[in-house]
Amino acid sequence: MEDARVIVSVSHFKMKFGNKTVIDDLSFVVKKGEVFGFLGSNGSGKTTTIRALLGLYEPTAGELTIEGRHFQPGTDAVKLGYLPEERGLYKKEKVIDVMQYFGQLKHMPKAKARAASLAYLARVGMSSYADTRLDKLSGGQQQKVQLGVTIMNNPDLLILDEPTKGFDPVNRRLLMNIVEDHRKAGATIIFITHQMDEVEQLCDRIILLKDGRAHAYGTVAGVRNKFGGKSLDDIFVQVYGDENEEEQEQDV
Amino acid sequence: MFNIGTVYRFEVIRTLKKRSFWLTALAFPLLMALVGAIIYFSNSTTADIANKMKTERFSMMVTDDSHLLMPGQITANSIQVTTTKREGIDAVKNGTVDAYFYFPANIVSAPVEVYGKNVGLFDNDKYASVAKYLLEQSASLDVTPNVASVLRGAAKVTTTTYEKGQVYDGFQRAIIPGLFLVLFYFLIAMFGGQMLASTTEEKENRVMEMILTTVTAKTLIIGKIFSLVTLALVQGLIFATPVVLAYVFFRNQLSIPAIDFSTIPIDPFRIAIAALIFTASFFLFTGLLVMIGAASPTAKEASGFLGVVMMFIFAPLYAAALFISSPDTLIVQIMTYFPLTAPIPAMIRNAAGNLTANEAIIVVVLLTLSAIIVMYLAIRLFKYGAIEYSKKLSIRTLFRRLQ
Repeated sequence: MEDARVIVSVSHFKMKFGNKTVIDDLSFVVKKGEVFGFLGSNGSGKTTTIRALLGLYEPTAGELTIEGRHFQPGTDAVKLGYLPEERGLYKKEKVIDVMQYFGQLKHMPKAKARAASLAYLARVGMSSYADTRLDKLSGGQQQKVQLGVTIMNNPDLLILDEPTKGFDPVNRRLLMNIVEDHRKAGATIIFITHQMDEVEQLCDRIILLKDGRAHAYGTVAGVRNKFGGKSLDDIFVQVYGDENEEEQEQDV
Repeated sequence: MFNIGTVYRFEVIRTLKKRSFWLTALAFPLLMALVGAIIYFSNSTTADIANKMKTERFSMMVTDDSHLLMPGQITANSIQVTTTKREGIDAVKNGTVDAYFYFPANIVSAPVEVYGKNVGLFDNDKYASVAKYLLEQSASLDVTPNVASVLRGAAKVTTTTYEKGQVYDGFQRAIIPGLFLVLFYFLIAMFGGQMLASTTEEKENRVMEMILTTVTAKTLIIGKIFSLVTLALVQGLIFATPVVLAYVFFRNQLSIPAIDFSTIPIDPFRIAIAALIFTASFFLFTGLLVMIGAASPTAKEASGFLGVVMMFIFAPLYAAALFISSPDTLIVQIMTYFPLTAPIPAMIRNAAGNLTANEAIIVVVLLTLSAIIVMYLAIRLFKYGAIEYSKKLSIRTLFRRLQ
């Protein structure tokens, strides 16, 4: 019988692109209300796993479910907030129009979507940009808007793929506070990042992906114990350092 | 499917806010208004000049070797007569007369020569007009009004044909089914580029992942299709408005023939077939555009493929006469049943009345099946191919995604 506390379940997931196997028999679960760190070097298959979980890729094998079901956008099964690694919004449109549109797509009434958008913009210091076209904003501001779109429906499940990429320290702190608020409100958060300090600060459990398999999986403390009490930063270097050396050798 | 309305409204409103939409939409009616104004003023000017010429008098001299002119004409118009061409030309040169006409002995083989004082590029034509008028006037004095009418090519002919004992007007019967062909052409011409831009926009803006985890690909595409149909209809209204205004208020000035709408026959079967062919063709074409959009990283790259699809759909227009005159030839049959080329031949043949009931049913079934298959594949390809942001999908990948 499936654990009622499990919100995301990935079971024997395999993903091949042509002849290349990117993910090979990956299994893990994410429990409700936890912050789950999804770690791995570039190209280790983190984004692929998330895309397959969200139905953007069809898995070669295995089962990926949210609340026991294959994810279907637009249903009320789970309120999802997803900030993808590839960032972008409708560049020619006004900030408020885009935020309101996504709010409505997330089943919020128009007025509520507008109010939530304006409240978020106020929180991140962008009230005066509500009627500005997105392509007139800086990269960091666009990213803030995208985060706003992601969280505006108070999601039950928040998937953030490298959310602090491109943020300065001030905005990084702001983002971490927002994530923390959602965690306190009971949201489950899957956090994909290379920032080990963020992981140590926020995550309850983590998975380290290497060569398409789970290299380590468990609580932050458990994983650290497995590696002799090293910091996550050192563990990351230990696990993925050889890949970087190989890459460097190939570059030479 | 709950979100179709939201997608629809967003797409319609943001397009209506674009300056480029209004520039494109208004360019055609403005151009039409400009052309109409030119025709109107040109017609007024021509009529004014014709009236002026009737009343305007200029001195004339003639040499009539043809012996066609009547003495009464010469007297009535105060025309001077000379026997030598040289004298007449000299009279014009030295300003004694305004114009000199030389009517040769055999006007079948030799031209009437007109010489005149220069009064401007347009006004100089009056000399030739008067010379011709003098000939016509003298010729018609010699024959009956009927013969004169035949000689002028002014005799009118009306044709009435019958089918099963009833009056059958093939042209009028083609009007309503033919309107679907016009609508199809208009919609595709207006809609093709926009649909392609619309399907590649999310990809170019890297918003595909966010949108496809919020709404299904099917919802997004259906919302976009409805919005683009609405926008095409808005453009259609903008285009039609000056035509209707011109017909209602300026029909005489613009020399537009009167149409008696009450006499246009209604053939329910043919109209229904036209509507079905139109609908299936429209969705087939839309599905192809979605597939192209999903497989290409940018609208620019996709536009190359759009050209190929357009060629298949509109190339049959060049053989339009063949569809009416020789519907049983092999090439017409192939084009009628091959789904990509079928829309135009099937609609033309249906309008012309040479698409039999059996043929019509086969075409409708073929087009509908093709549209369903292409739409299904398009949505699937859009879902799985749309996040290949920067690369064009290879044929191999394309088929793998479609499996």
